[in-house]
Order: sequence, then C-alpha cells, then structure tokens
Amino acid sequence: MSIEIRNIHKRFGKFNALNNINLDVPTGELVALLGPSGCGKTTLLRIIAGLEAADEGSILFHGSDATSRDVREREVGFVFQHYALFRHMTVFENVAFGLRVRPRKTRPSEAEIHRRVHALLELVQLDWLAGRYPPQLSGGQRQRIALARALAVEPKVLLLDEPFGALDAKVRKDLRRWLRRLHDELHITSVFVTHDQEEALEVADRIVVMNQGNIEQIGSPQDVYDQPASPFVYKFLGNVNQFHGRVHAGKAHIDTLALDIDDHHETDNTPAHAFVRPHDIEVLRERGTQPAFSAVVSYINAIGPLVRVELQRQDNQSIVEAELTRERFRELALQQGEAVYIQPRNVRVFLDVPN
Amino acid sequence: MSSTVSHLGHYQAKVARSRATSEPAWIRWSLIAIALAFLSLFLFIPLAAVFTEALRKGFETYIAALIEPDALSAIKLTVIAAAISVPLNLVFGVAAAWATAKFDFKGKSVLITLIDLPFAVSPVIAGLIYVLIFGLQGWFGEWLIDNDYKVIFAIPGIVLATVFVTFPFVARELIPLMQAQGKEEEEAALVLGASGWQILWRVTLPNIKWGLLYGVILTNARAMGEFGAVSVVSGHIRGMTNTMPLHVEILYNEYNYAAAFAVASLLAFLALVTLALKTFIEWQSARSARTTEQLSEE
Repeated sequence: MSIEIRNIHKRFGKFNALNNINLDVPTGELVALLGPSGCGKTTLLRIIAGLEAADEGSILFHGSDATSRDVREREVGFVFQHYALFRHMTVFENVAFGLRVRPRKTRPSEAEIHRRVHALLELVQLDWLAGRYPPQLSGGQRQRIALARALAVEPKVLLLDEPFGALDAKVRKDLRRWLRRLHDELHITSVFVTHDQEEALEVADRIVVMNQGNIEQIGSPQDVYDQPASPFVYKFLGNVNQFHGRVHAGKAHIDTLALDIDDHHETDNTPAHAFVRPHDIEVLRERGTQPAFSAVVSYINAIGPLVRVELQRQDNQSIVEAELTRERFRELALQQGEAVYIQPRNVRVFLDVPN
Repeated sequence: MSSTVSHLGHYQAKVARSRATSEPAWIRWSLIAIALAFLSLFLFIPLAAVFTEALRKGFETYIAALIEPDALSAIKLTVIAAAISVPLNLVFGVAAAWATAKFDFKGKSVLITLIDLPFAVSPVIAGLIYVLIFGLQGWFGEWLIDNDYKVIFAIPGIVLATVFVTFPFVARELIPLMQAQGKEEEEAALVLGASGWQILWRVTLPNIKWGLLYGVILTNARAMGEFGAVSVVSGHIRGMTNTMPLHVEILYNEYNYAAAFAVASLLAFLALVTLALKTFIEWQSARSARTTEQLSEE
C-alpha cells in the first residue's frame, strides 16, 4: 500500500515540529526518515500511524484519505524504539495480542492463532523463546519479537521508530541486514526513522533527510551521498571538509586557490561554502599542476581499512581531514610533522544565501 | 624495608576505607538503641497494652464484648462503609491515575491538587462540610427532609465522609507508577487494534496490579479506622450509626475498659493484617522489579 503525505504541519506550542511536509512512499518501498534528534522525523512517523494528529494536511493510504481514520483502522504495524513489549505476557501472547483483541467475528480460531504466531516466530528465528517473558530476552531478541508482533496483524504498512537505536553496534549491524532481507521477502511498504546515516545508507531504498521540521532532500542512498542538495545534507551524511570563499565565473576562490567547479558559471563574486569529502582530498609530496594548499601532517590514525590523516594548512592553520587507502598511505610513507601538498577534488559549492 | 613500607601503606588504606564508610561501634549501637527505644515506646508497648487490657478480665468477657448486639452492629457498619468506599475509590483512583498519567490536558495539575485535598483538610472539617451541605440547616437539608432521605446521622453520611478521607489513597499510589511506565505499551496495543477497554484490562491493569492492591489495602485500613470525619456526621446512635472506632470511644467514656479494648483489639488486629499484607506486596513487587532488571541487564 502506498502512502502519500500532503502539506503536513504540526506545532507543539510555539515549536514548529513539522513544516509543510510532502512525501510519497510507493508500495513495497523501504524508506528511511533520517535526521538529527528533534528534526520531526518521529513526529511524522507517529502522524502516519495515527498516534499523533497533524494540525494541517492529509495522509493518503493507497489514494484514499486516511487523515481522520482511527489508529486501529489504519492497518499499520508499529515498532517502538524501546520495543514496548507487554512485560507481563509471554512472547507467544505478545505476538498473539493483535489477533486476540479482534472482535469475535474476525478473530481466528485458537488453532489458527497458534499456527500464525509460530510461523511468525520462525520468521524472526525465535520460535524457541515462545514461553519466555520480555524481561528475559536480550535487546536484539526483543526487537525481533516486537517486529513479529507488529507483523501478526498483517499490516499494509510497517513503521519503525529508531528500530536499532537501543542496541549495541554489533547487534545493530546484524539486525539491519536481517531487516533488509526480511523486507526483500515480504515487500511490505515500510518507513523507518533513524539518526544514523550509515544505517539509512545501508538499509533504505530511499532516504528522506530531515532537518528542523523540513525535508532537505529525498533520494536514493547514492543520490543523497553523492549529490547532497544542501550544506546540511552534506554535513549530515558522512565527514566533510568545509571551506569558505567566493564563487566567480565557474571558479571557487578559496583563499589563494582557484578551483574549477561544474556549475555557477554565471555567478559573479558571491560568498559561498565549498565542501569536499575526506576521500576527495589528494595528498601529494610534490606540487602538481592542479592548485593545492601546502600543509603539515598533524595527526595520523591508521586503524581500519582507511587511513585518516589530519593536515594543518600553512596559510591559515585550519585543519583539513583526508582519508587515504592503505596502499596510497604506504606509497607516500607519511610521517607526522612532514610538509605536503593537498589538492581538493570534486568540490561542491553552495552559495551563501543572503539573510 | 620497602616491603614493610608497602605493607604499612596497605594496612592504612584498609583502615581509612572502613572509617570512610562506617561510624565507630559505639555510635552505631547507640543509634540502634535509640531507634528501638522509640519504637517500643510508641508502637510495641501500646500494641501490647491493647491486647493485655482486652484480655484482662478473661477470654469470655472478651468474646462477650465482641458479640454484644451494639458491637456487632458497629462492626457491620464499619464493614459496610469500607465495602462501599473501597470499590468507589478503586474505580475513581484508577480513572484519575489513568487520566493524569497517560494523557495531557489543560487543568491537569489542578486535578492532581484536588485529588490531594483530603490529605490537607482535617477530617473533622471534612465531616463538617457534609453537615453543612446535607444537615438540617444545610443547603439540601430541607429538600432531603421533604423527600424523607437521611444523610447526616445515618449510613449515607458515614459512607460519604469515609469516601472523602480515603479519596487520594489509590490515585496517589498509582500516578507515579503509571507515569514511570509511560504509555508506549498502551500505544502498541492501540496500533494492534485493541479497544480502550481491552487496553485497560489486558495491558494497563496487569502492569499496575501490585501498586493497585497496595493502594486498596491502605484505603481499606483508613476506611475502617477513620474517626474524626465519621464522628461529626454519625450522631453516635448506638446500634445504628456507630462504627467501630466510635463504639470504642463510647465504651471507654462509660468506663467499660475491657469491652473498649476488646473492640480496639479487633482494629489493632486489622492493622497488623494490613501491615503483613503490605509487606508481602512490597516484597512481591520488589521481587518482580528486581528480576526484570537483572534479566534485562544480561
């Protein structure tokens, strides 16, 4: 089932939680709402679920207006950040809850409930825990039970609020891959909220980047990472070096450097910010043909597949971060305190918006 | 030499640590002695006195004082007052706690303050309020007489006064508990399609059962033991509007000490049962909270 979000506004007192939000989630897609805490992503998810009411705007499920539809009739599955399992019920009863509370006419028989609950517990690979109570489970197990419980009512839409937020790093990684596979099996339209860009980039079909109640960008993980639509998205998705300068006739002038850029050919001497990812900083022993800053290696962190090098520019002492492959690092044989040249590639420029 | 020094250092560290965490023996023992003396003076000795005085003239006199018609009627009235006010406050307390802990609305803090009002008002004033409203010269006095309803100096007045003084017990017990538990489980149930009643019965009540029971027991103890408010509205009609505490007072004023203490011993016994139940419930809820924590840490 597709979800259409039209002109949603939500205020909490004087705080503008959501500001004219428009978003389409096509059937079967896995969409991530990504943003820092307080950006309104959870509020939007709760409005889709019907747990919160929007001040203005409408929500359409499969083309029909669901704005005033009761939570119970929206046929959504919701997975809460802290699982919200019923602590006094066994795992089995937790998963069976949604079936047991149905009116007698539509309630499945006891045998059918058993069959379906066990099928779901097998799906989340936790059938052996059916008789346990939630406090007896680990965080990852609880999260999977919460998912099985949400799926038990056969929802048309699955909504997940920071589904892996409370788990440790290792479990989080395993579980998000598992969620991706599960989604590929079930093809249920899903929206999940996260503040972890790595998680969004790895799991989602599409990412909605939000900031301060607004949508900054909607796009595939590739798009939002490679073509960030705003400085915010650039800074939020991964590490970035930021330079201040001016743009004039297709060139970015950063202090003594004039860098070629793809756009802004008509722009006339306008203040701007330039962004370069650390892996687009080339470190050279000799000055090449391209413009480069001279810098001193101030810190080297060689743990992991990439070597992180901090360089201090000699003209204004600011720090530039570079990421090198291990091969390149060995080739250069960099030592702390050595003088090198750094050459930014793939510079992306955002003109300063006059206030 | 160096080893001696390090030994010494180690020893000193040990002494310092034990000094840092505990007082010298004489302070500890005198504190314990003071606490015990205080408890004996104000709790154990009076409690023992009640039972000794009650049984001073023998077991038969004791029983006779309890099965005498006026005493039986007082016991009956006390049980009736408790049997009406406890369920009323149970329902009200759950409703008030549910509303204030799970929802946000205007005037919420005013409501919570109002719930606490009976704690702040002297029970005698509480009784007087009802006399002023329902009494002969009260607001509704004439209308009540015309329609032949008796509130003051009758059972309804006693029940009203009891309900008033026990008003906050259940709600006060539940509000912090329900606030701490949050509303995620209720929201989860809602999304899964449960109705309001189903959520209350299947999710909310099971989560607060120990706190609720605790509140009920406290309410019951207070309902049976209330003196001041009930005294004002009762009229002290023997065999008619006397509750147990009032009956004790009458007997005592008539110098019938054995009977007074016999009835008093029943109330004291009720207090002991209440304490035992309260301890059991605290132990139970602490145990379930502890297992929850332990297991979730694994």
